Amino acid sequence: MVSKKINKSQIWIVIPAYNEEKYIGRVLKKVGQITSNIVVVDDGSSDSTRVKISRYPVHYLKHKVNLGKGAALKTGCEYVFGRLGGQAVIFLDSDDQHDPEKLPDFFRLLQAGHQAVFGERAMNFEMPLIRIIGNRLASLLILIFFGRYIPDIPSGFKAITKQTYQKIVWESAGYEVETEIAARVARYQIEFEVVTIPTIYHDTDKGMTLLDTFEMITKIISWRLSK
Amino acid sequence: MTVFQTLTLLFALLMLYVVIIHYKKKTLGLGAASFWASLWVIFIVISLFPNLLLGITGALNFSRVFDLLVVIAFMIISLVVFLSYFRVRELEKKLEKYVRSDALKSGQKND
Repeated sequence: MVSKKINKSQIWIVIPAYNEEKYIGRVLKKVGQITSNIVVVDDGSSDSTRVKISRYPVHYLKHKVNLGKGAALKTGCEYVFGRLGGQAVIFLDSDDQHDPEKLPDFFRLLQAGHQAVFGERAMNFEMPLIRIIGNRLASLLILIFFGRYIPDIPSGFKAITKQTYQKIVWESAGYEVETEIAARVARYQIEFEVVTIPTIYHDTDKGMTLLDTFEMITKIISWRLSK
Repeated sequence: MTVFQTLTLLFALLMLYVVIIHYKKKTLGLGAASFWASLWVIFIVISLFPNLLLGITGALNFSRVFDLLVVIAFMIISLVVFLSYFRVRELEKKLEKYVRSDALKSGQKND
């Protein structure tokens, strides 16, 4: 089901950042060429991330203590929907592993009335094998426990409307938020679209580890069993 | 008195001392300190006179007093871990709520 139309001016980019002094400037420069609606949530960085961000005309929020990606995304959403009057957010990672050139595709789908948009990377040789396995496993578990297939769940490049956020407000504070968002989208049968995005990995990728994968499995089961 | 009894006695005396220190530092209130001190006094008595429990071990079908004590200790530890887990979760939620609320209040656009 497609709901009311959203203007581009009502769509905000939420970028969670934790110790990303190496990439944050580059990311903000690229995103700034596409939109000025940018909110950065500094999740307790101890390096010069703050200094780098201060050079750009973006909304800046800071967690005094590192809480995790999930908490940072929640803060960004509450700021956009509560303070800025936004109607949709696009999450984009601050480690330059998401191509801002794809933002117009997200804008287009949100403006067309879609409630959620997931970025899907190609599972090719550019992605480490262990990540491909974890990725496929996450999608399979969501399919088994929630009845819907959602591709590339760990990808942080996704968009949701204000309505969707209100339905799926997550509890996860850490990286498991990506899986919880997918689980809740599936649980509440929220319609979504998929955008193909390039696969980019840096040497300093801080994504999910094998231990995170085990934790993900137990979390999916507990979300299924809870309200 | 066996070597093992001596060691358990010394351990219990040490733990009793820790309880008293924490009571004096006011990290433990009178109620909590009394509770833990009582437990360690009972532990001391049992380590000195293990035969006091022979009646109980027989009734509960334990072959040895030691087995009974191990099971009781395991139950106590499980309870403490279980309760601690929920306390930590509660604290995590409170911390998150406070930190995020503070961030939202001070958020603004860079010039």
